[in-house]
Amino acid sequence: MDLLEPLQSGIERRALAEVVMLGAFCGAFGCWVTTFRLSYPAESLAHGLLPGLVLAALAGLPLLLGGVAGVAVAALAVWVAGRDGRVGSDTATAVAVTGLLGLGSLLALTPAAPARLEELLFGDPLGVTDGDLAAAAALALVGGAALVALHRPLAAVALDATGARALGVRPGLVRLALLGLLAAALAVAVQGLGSLLVLAVLIGPAVAVRGLFSTPARAMVAAAAVGALAGVAGIYASSWLGTAAGASVALALCGAAALGALLRWLAGRSRAAPSPSA
Amino acid sequence: MPGALGGLVTAAVTAEGLAVSYGGGRPALEEVEFELAAGSSLCVLGPNGGGKTTLFRALTGELPALRGTVAVAGGRPAYLAQTERTRLDFPVSALDVALMGSLANGRWWLPARRSDRDAARAALDRVGLADRASDRFGELSGGQRQRVLIARALVQDARVLLLDEPLAGVDPASGERIERLFGELRDEGRALLVSTHDVESARAFDRVLCLNGAQIAFGDPATALTRDVLERTYGGEIVVLEEDGPGGAVRAVTVQHHHHDH
Amino acid sequence: MDPFGALPAPTDLVELRFMRTALVELALLGVAGGLLGAWIVLRRLAFFAHAVGTATFPGLVVADATGFSGTLAALAVALGYAGGVERAGRSGRDPGDVATALLLVIALAGGVVLASDVFESGAGVDRLLFGTALGLGTGDLWIAAAAAAAALAATVLLGRAWTAVGFDTAGGDALGVPVRTADRLLLGLVAVAAVAALPAVGALLVASLFVVPAATARLLTRSVGGLLATAVAVAVGQGAVGLYVSLWLDVPPGPAVAVVGAAAYVAVALATAVRAPARPAPLEAA
Repeated sequence: MDLLEPLQSGIERRALAEVVMLGAFCGAFGCWVTTFRLSYPAESLAHGLLPGLVLAALAGLPLLLGGVAGVAVAALAVWVAGRDGRVGSDTATAVAVTGLLGLGSLLALTPAAPARLEELLFGDPLGVTDGDLAAAAALALVGGAALVALHRPLAAVALDATGARALGVRPGLVRLALLGLLAAALAVAVQGLGSLLVLAVLIGPAVAVRGLFSTPARAMVAAAAVGALAGVAGIYASSWLGTAAGASVALALCGAAALGALLRWLAGRSRAAPSPSA
Repeated sequence: MPGALGGLVTAAVTAEGLAVSYGGGRPALEEVEFELAAGSSLCVLGPNGGGKTTLFRALTGELPALRGTVAVAGGRPAYLAQTERTRLDFPVSALDVALMGSLANGRWWLPARRSDRDAARAALDRVGLADRASDRFGELSGGQRQRVLIARALVQDARVLLLDEPLAGVDPASGERIERLFGELRDEGRALLVSTHDVESARAFDRVLCLNGAQIAFGDPATALTRDVLERTYGGEIVVLEEDGPGGAVRAVTVQHHHHDH
Repeated sequence: MDPFGALPAPTDLVELRFMRTALVELALLGVAGGLLGAWIVLRRLAFFAHAVGTATFPGLVVADATGFSGTLAALAVALGYAGGVERAGRSGRDPGDVATALLLVIALAGGVVLASDVFESGAGVDRLLFGTALGLGTGDLWIAAAAAAAALAATVLLGRAWTAVGFDTAGGDALGVPVRTADRLLLGLVAVAAVAALPAVGALLVASLFVVPAATARLLTRSVGGLLATAVAVAVGQGAVGLYVSLWLDVPPGPAVAVVGAAAYVAVALATAVRAPARPAPLEAA
């Protein structure tokens, strides 16, 4: 198990760079995603952008374009679905996502189409292009700047939405900004992790560090570190064990979350030891 | 205890030293002790979270007693819970809802019988909604919905009815109509327990029960609703309109805190 | 190259033997999916239906590679998942979307790793995720028939209880309806029926038969009975048309059924919205 071996391959060096940047930004951003209970919308958008990816792949266009277009269409579909009060927004969202997932897989599985569906579903960090790296870097930098700029409004709304309004913060706009960042993060991260697994990088690190830090800022820094480290661990595991790279990174991220949950549970049990007083 | 027709009547609802909790922890409600005769009505007063709904859920048997006992005579009580928004989009008609009362006969896996359907139509007629039988429940007004739920209780032929804030959001005209129904149900020998935020309306009831995590008072509304009782029930959230001398009954209103979820 | 080959004759669906089997399978699954889908839509279980199917994916991979019965493996996972959801709901502790989302990612990633690197049966992943029309056997038909029969029996016996509980849980409980048992049976039945649907539509698209047709039907009906009947009709029709599309484009049935179903939903939603603009239910300040 040579630590330096993966670093010698250009492909794997790029994969490592990709997962470090994505893991860091999405890990930190994921703290807001979980705080604002956006897991279900995030998952719906992630699954729903599949047709965009497939069409881009079929047309020979950069997947990033497909990701952006796909997430825009998915967001529109989910928004329209949510407004229908007759079946309930949960059900309508499920219909939209099922339809989009079906459309994407249908397009990708026609015999004439190039057989790349598994990479689009489960990620392909080893197939990262220079364009993908640039996009990941841009996401980390611009997204990171946005997170810094929005930090106080986000924290205010998360703590107390009505109180925040009194302070001049507009919860609606804040939420909109969050969703915009989410869409961008998904469009970029889906190259590395795939439509079905990308959620891991958004919520895994946040879950891993949940409850351990007193301020959101510290939690976000920790989550960024966890995201980057888990990403690296996944690439190394995939290199040593010969497993699929995208899935290995996703499993590493989920493993970090599970580890965090386990540590919290153990800490809770030792603290909850019964006391003899009434 | 003497009943309206003279002679003794059995208690329809009895609670002795009752304490109720959710999941065996600290009691949400304790020291409840009262008796309600058949053919009489009880107004349950208290702030939000004070235990009114908890009491009702203990009376239906959904929550077990932590301490003490509670007994309801005459079969299952009918429970008209607080209005929840999800019920409005369920594809059920007024008749369907009234018919649900027949589930209480214990054989819920069998389809409704002809006699049940007739009873449901008769009940809707009784509450004045015979012509709305096939309308969707969600398309009715608040007052009409309450009357449909009362029809359900009639189909069930419940001897005890538990109504959780039945007049909340109902316009005054419908409210009066519903209160007339209460009187009819009472005169038929049923026992009614109605929780409300409207302190003044308690005077129309035979008995009043004040709850705020524990029983504050029980008795005749004309004498039990003293300033002290009301203050202990509602904390500081009452406005006194008129007082009958120190220690006497007061006329008061509660200050509502509406919690809006956005 | 033209991906849209010549349109097959609709009679191919009955003349080709493997297509006959697939057609019967989808019809039976349509009955189960329509009936249970009605309850899924009424009780807001759409995500559960999707999740329970997805969760079985690693079990299917292992069974596929080891020769163990895929159905039994999937049943074990599905019922385990349903039990976990039921227990979490009962204890009141909401595990939240976060836990289930991570669970599903682990199931999918784990299944992929098992398929491509442990068992190296990578080619089967598409079939497990999206279903197949070619590989359906009489065993699958029997299971689908059992699921349809169970859905029908449950609707007849439990329908009144499920309606009362869905409409007013507290009131239903007071009426003596066994709320917990009824809910447990619903979750368990959805899990079992989802397993029956796996061979035909795949682990990722269970919702195409168990949510989408009932959602479309919900837009068209105003009673529970009407919803049940319409959902079955839509599901069976959608399955047949979807199978036809899958034959025409040479794709697995799952995606075809999903796309046909979603298109039907959109068409009905537009048609009914135009005809009767949404009338808000009379709301008073509470």
